[in-house]
Amino acid sequence: MPASPNKSGSRPQSFIDRFFFDWFPAEALGAVRFYFGIGLFIYMNIQYAHLFTIDPNGAQFHFTLPIWYFDLLGVDHITQWTIYAVHAVLLASCVLFTLGKWTKPAIIALIISMAYMKGMRDSIAGDVHHREIPIVFCLIVFFFSKCDRMFSLDAKRKGWGPIEDWEASWPLRAMQVYIVMFYFWALVAKLRLSGLDWFEGGGRIQEVLLSRAVRDGFTSDGHVAGLSLAYQLAHHPSLVFLLGSLVFVFELLSPLALFTRDKRLIVFFLIGATIFHLSNYFLMNVQFFFYPFVFVVFFNMAVFHRWIKERLPSTGQAALN
Amino acid sequence: MTKKRVKIFLLVLFTVYFGAVFLRVDFFPLSWVPMYGQRQVGEHVHIVIGDKAARAKTGFIAERADGERLNITRHDLNVPSTHFRRFFHQRAYDRGPPQHRREREQLMPFNKWWYETLIGPDPLLTHNYALELLESVNKTLGYGPNDPKRIVRLEARVKVATYSKEELAAGDIADPHAKTAIAIITPTQAKIVSEDGTEIKDLDNASFAE
Repeated sequence: MPASPNKSGSRPQSFIDRFFFDWFPAEALGAVRFYFGIGLFIYMNIQYAHLFTIDPNGAQFHFTLPIWYFDLLGVDHITQWTIYAVHAVLLASCVLFTLGKWTKPAIIALIISMAYMKGMRDSIAGDVHHREIPIVFCLIVFFFSKCDRMFSLDAKRKGWGPIEDWEASWPLRAMQVYIVMFYFWALVAKLRLSGLDWFEGGGRIQEVLLSRAVRDGFTSDGHVAGLSLAYQLAHHPSLVFLLGSLVFVFELLSPLALFTRDKRLIVFFLIGATIFHLSNYFLMNVQFFFYPFVFVVFFNMAVFHRWIKERLPSTGQAALN
Repeated sequence: MTKKRVKIFLLVLFTVYFGAVFLRVDFFPLSWVPMYGQRQVGEHVHIVIGDKAARAKTGFIAERADGERLNITRHDLNVPSTHFRRFFHQRAYDRGPPQHRREREQLMPFNKWWYETLIGPDPLLTHNYALELLESVNKTLGYGPNDPKRIVRLEARVKVATYSKEELAAGDIADPHAKTAIAIITPTQAKIVSEDGTEIKDLDNASFAE
């Protein structure tokens, strides 16, 4: 692709430059960090809520299959008090990250405490979930960016000046690439493992619908005790095939979202992705339902922030300043 | 960072993350995103029909080395109910986690080479998930290998529905043809039997969906 001149017309820009450096204004990165942090706070509570059903005074469960880094470190059982302590660190780090106070150390603490909580959760039975993977990628990119230079308590206190547009643009574009490719790679994985058999008839979706619906059994009047909508849907393989085809198209075309600046198309794509996650939750109990909070990286959240501030009473406005 | 350094950083970052996709790495925080991607089409699909109330109330029927019988529930093991369900429906029936079931499936030669060289043998061949569950139960309850109170037998009961390919394709799933499958785990072996004591072997196939 031929290089094109940049805004000032002084030097030609390559495709890579336009793709990564010429997409967002400087104000966007800090604002995205702020709203990403709010979403992450809620998401983390959802992800590890199960661990708080463990009795603090009960037996210390010895893992059946420790996650690889627990295996390496010799962590082989649950120590209940650490769940509470590490979750407190996780949430405190999340608040600091959101507010932009000690932002970079907070990111490191977030990643480590998330890995610990994930290890505790996933090592019990050995099912390693994928719900933290895009989050960690985003946090790594935030760490290496200047996300603390604007929209943060640190910037106010230290009097940091504004950053350049390109410095705000590349981290958000990098996060977008991974978030979008996560869907595309999921399709590639289906084809690598199962080929088009994955979609045949009701396909894998019908099996999952059925197994999730009946895993808690039937009630005395013959209805499924769990996901009744999933059970009903499993009776209609043609409809399931149609839904599977929509998933195929959505995952196949998802990378296109990276190449449009048309807000309506991006919103259309993200609404589709959100419906996908909500459907997976309501039909199969897949716990990605709050994951769409990561979509804030697709928008200049500073504009949204101003919009919110204009509608708040003066006390609320002061809090958001 | 300058623009040049940012480009180098992004090159390294995406090489690592997308290289993991190529190499089929699925070790946190890297992944090739294979969730729910595995499906093996067979003539039949077996699906566990659970019983939430019985699982919570009765749990595993267990026996100590001294002959005492007891029940082991999620409260005894002190684990969340979702994890206990996995023990009860999957590990007791020697079904490993999805990561293990798909790790070596359909690997291209290079990926097969690096997995076997750096990671080792197929986890499906090196693990006995049912025996590992029994070991974990004893450790959790604080029983050593010679303790007379140690658990020497665990038993789980579920119903397993069997659907033919044709029934699934027609959506004819109202009658699940469910049979009781009893997982029996002792320190030396784990097996699955029917209510009349006949050993069940066909639940081992890959179409045992959870």
